[in-house]
Amino acid sequence: MVSEEKKLKLQDLIDEMPLPQVDSERIESVGIIGGGIMGTGIAQASSQAGLDVIIVEKDEVSSERSRKMLSEAMDREIQRWGMTISEKKAILQRIRWTTDISEVSECDIIIEAVDEDLNLKREIFRKLDRICPPDTIFVSNTSTLSLSKIADGTSRADKTIGMHFLNPVPKIPVVEIVRGIETSDETTKIARGFAKKLGKTAVEVFEYPGFITTRVIIPFLNEAMHILMEGLATAEGIDTATKLGYNLPIGPLELADSMGLDEILAWMETLWHELGEPRYRPCPLLRKYVREGKLGKKTGEGFFKYDSHGRKIIESK
Amino acid sequence: MKVLVLNCGSSSVKYQFINTENKLVLSKGSIESIGSSSAILTHQRYDGDTIKITGEILDHDLAIEYVIAVLLSKNHGVIKDRSEIEAVGHRVVHGGEDFSGSVLITDTVIQTLRENIELAPLHNPPNIKGIVACLKHLPDVPMVGVFDTAFHQKMPPRAFLYGIPYLLYKRYKIRRYGFHGTSHLYVSKRAAELLGKAYDSIKIISCHLGNGCSIAAIDRGISIDTSMGFTPLEGLLMGTRCGDLDPSIPLHVMAKEDLTLAEVNTMLNKHSGLMGISGVSNDMRELIKTMNEGNERSRLAFEVFCYRIKKYFGAYIAALGGLDAIVFTGGIGENSFEVRKEVLTNLEFLGIELDDEKNLIQNGDRIISKDSSKVKVFVIPTNEELVIALETAQIVSELRKEMSNKS
Repeated sequence: MVSEEKKLKLQDLIDEMPLPQVDSERIESVGIIGGGIMGTGIAQASSQAGLDVIIVEKDEVSSERSRKMLSEAMDREIQRWGMTISEKKAILQRIRWTTDISEVSECDIIIEAVDEDLNLKREIFRKLDRICPPDTIFVSNTSTLSLSKIADGTSRADKTIGMHFLNPVPKIPVVEIVRGIETSDETTKIARGFAKKLGKTAVEVFEYPGFITTRVIIPFLNEAMHILMEGLATAEGIDTATKLGYNLPIGPLELADSMGLDEILAWMETLWHELGEPRYRPCPLLRKYVREGKLGKKTGEGFFKYDSHGRKIIESK
Repeated sequence: MKVLVLNCGSSSVKYQFINTENKLVLSKGSIESIGSSSAILTHQRYDGDTIKITGEILDHDLAIEYVIAVLLSKNHGVIKDRSEIEAVGHRVVHGGEDFSGSVLITDTVIQTLRENIELAPLHNPPNIKGIVACLKHLPDVPMVGVFDTAFHQKMPPRAFLYGIPYLLYKRYKIRRYGFHGTSHLYVSKRAAELLGKAYDSIKIISCHLGNGCSIAAIDRGISIDTSMGFTPLEGLLMGTRCGDLDPSIPLHVMAKEDLTLAEVNTMLNKHSGLMGISGVSNDMRELIKTMNEGNERSRLAFEVFCYRIKKYFGAYIAALGGLDAIVFTGGIGENSFEVRKEVLTNLEFLGIELDDEKNLIQNGDRIISKDSSKVKVFVIPTNEELVIALETAQIVSELRKEMSNKS
């Protein structure tokens, strides 16, 4: 009696195919340009929310590296009981890597998450502008660059918006939504909806270098570096006092190490140039570390030393 | 009465269409992966005719429409017109303190359900979506909400209050609610029937041992205590959930392992229980297999699981002040004679005598205690859908009576 009818379609059940309540703001698929830490983080958060994701990388080697990075990041989560193996599988199932940027043209929203390089970002947005339907929303994950400049040269400055996610994206529950001069209310609404779908609290901010989170944290980190350079206290002492004194989960120097000292230097240079305020002048010690290739956790050494799992090595005196 | 029973989850809708007069399931099925382009509709008719279709179903509203459509389908359906669906019964996970029984769904009820979302943020929203979709597609059909928590709502404050500041109960409704209520109600009632005694005259302990596990003390028809609490995490050991725990353990582990709230939540819900202790599996069958092959951690998990149930027996027999029957249900409760044996061993002094041979028989509603056993032990496969259908039919017929009296 069991009849497995493979050819039967859903439409056959209902005379007139009912349309779901058409919702133009509905986002089902996400294209991500750049599969680095931020790109894979946004990919994981999107996939966890049930969205299909395509990550574009420049070549096969980078694609593979990106895939491995995400897989290992989730393995670490499984180890610390934050995720199960089947959840990891489900997340990876919805993410696809490609080297062909035109494959994202069908996505509902496209997020650029490449290095903080204005020309590179502009080039990507111009290319996307040519291959995507006119309604597709473009998002930049920049933390310091001008959104209007990035969107310049595309035909859709009104549909371009910034969404500044913070690392690690799957865990940090906030995103800054950055409106450029021409960003429309409609686009902002869609970006807000997308943030909500990812389970993030959205904070709206107008375009201005550094937005909120970067502006607030940079002088704080820089000051800690100055204290170290001036020899007032050891790195351990500075972190311990700040952490315990203000009930913070992590001290400023370890935080800087985990963000990447080269990244911080780049942000500071931009803020300093853009705003001309001396409080954004990078501490010479930061320059020195970056010059020496001590970039923090990712290289195993910054203000502190780290083991291969990224755990701080506590040196006995 | 022909009742459509719906169980709407976050990305699935399960349904059964039941004729309550003869308790026949006319058809049943499910839609999985709602919200994706590869949703799967599976539908089975009473005569065995089965179909499976894959396609795009983006929301619960559409899913409900497909459920109705497949019931109406010429080749695979069971009805000719929508009006043959006489009532809809919804499984609702959390009724909070507002519902101690099943209710006819009205706008006020929907509003109350919305107010209770905070208590079951994962479950109540899809339940509400299903209700709203039915309002749209079956506007004239009466609907009834049957709650997982309702059966336990009559337990006294001494059983439902926790030893924390009373203010927290007042402010956030933090208290024991208990779950699996529909299942505990069904199997305990059925046990009374099999005993040939009035439900409101006997004392029963019922064990729902499935993916989630809970145990309830039922005194003359009223659940006076149950092991699941504010959430389904408390009480017995489960597949991947920890059950009872010293509350300072999560705090200690969070500090030691530098875990966030979300991580410790996942640890307790998904990496604990049988899986956490054994490191082998959350499936009791797999666990018993590896245990018999000599895996010590599997044995430990099995023992912790059974010991905890036994400990609750002691507690609930004392709370009830006596006992007439024990009932096992749920996947493990119905199928694992090993668990039942381990749990019931050495309880003869309480008048509980397991019949080892009867315990091995795996079929339908059955008694597994010796004839001489003072306390009767039953295995009764649970049937939550049928309870929902019967409750729905009862409330709707009362409603009809009222209506006809008025007119």
